[in-house]
Amino acid sequence: MIRKDVMRVISKYVGINPIISANGFISRDLFEIEDKNSNFYMIGSMGLASSIALGVSLENPKNRIFIFDGDGNILMNLGSLTTIGVNSPKNLVHIVFDNNIHESTGGQPTNSLLINLDKIANVAKYRSYRITNMRELENILKKIPQLKGPLFILIKIDKNKQVSRRIDISPEEIKIRFMDFLKK
Amino acid sequence: MNEETQRRIFDYFQKNGIKRFLGVPDSTLKYFIDQGLEKKKILIATREEEAIGIATGMTLSGSKCLVFMQNAGFANSISTITSLVQLYRIPLIFMIGWRGYLSTDAPEHIHVGKIQQDLLDLVKLKSKVILEQSWKNDCRWALQNLEKNKSCALIVKRESND
Repeated sequence: MIRKDVMRVISKYVGINPIISANGFISRDLFEIEDKNSNFYMIGSMGLASSIALGVSLENPKNRIFIFDGDGNILMNLGSLTTIGVNSPKNLVHIVFDNNIHESTGGQPTNSLLINLDKIANVAKYRSYRITNMRELENILKKIPQLKGPLFILIKIDKNKQVSRRIDISPEEIKIRFMDFLKK
Repeated sequence: MNEETQRRIFDYFQKNGIKRFLGVPDSTLKYFIDQGLEKKKILIATREEEAIGIATGMTLSGSKCLVFMQNAGFANSISTITSLVQLYRIPLIFMIGWRGYLSTDAPEHIHVGKIQQDLLDLVKLKSKVILEQSWKNDCRWALQNLEKNKSCALIVKRESND
């Protein structure tokens, strides 16, 4: 599976619930697939998507909050899994697109090839799932409304050479429209 | 800074609109943090950058936040301050314990304690040392910065060795 194809399916499912998307190609893909005011694109501060989303989820318990994360990203902030597990936001869905590489920096390997991140999340008190094909993805998406978070959905994806364009809205505008969206 | 003042500072911020207090513990700020823990108003993160990330999410949701840490953790956080807090203009109050203020402090704190003010200036994070006799004004200064959508740092000196 290619990240962009998987992301297209999930973004459609998410609708207008907030998505915090990690820096690099993940945010660029999401921006190109479907730009929405409810998307918070990270530019820089690698690793912190899960933490920003924890803050949003604790303050907005009635919204379901999604994280679009990567394996390299979450490996930089593994401690956040324990903070999320302990604070246990029921409305948080942590999706990790796992291609075993740092794709945005040229394809260098990450440790997720040999270490199962979904198992780490499970120990950190997440409800954890590992997805390897589209059918499994569709099944888990259908189940989300009945599941109590935090949920960790690890999606194994293939490497890909296709690069989405840069985000051309300013960080401040990303912030303002996201804040306006949350106020409603 | 003595125990009573630290506890009063916590209460003052809470009474004046700070909704969330989060960070990484520091012995210089022990009583401030204890006061919040007793009121179940403290979220402890594993690293300072993580705390800033969580505070960013809360600020995006309209809650005012204070992030506490030791100056070692401030040094860890510089990239997060420049590429998240400043890039997106996220208003936060930082409270930073100043280890290495005394030249007799433990060796790992000496160098960062010396360059701390230069680091703050280079990063362009406005800062003020909180003093026992003017703590309320100093806190008010920080709240005013937040009102103007600006981040700032309050520095707490480590005035004794353990």
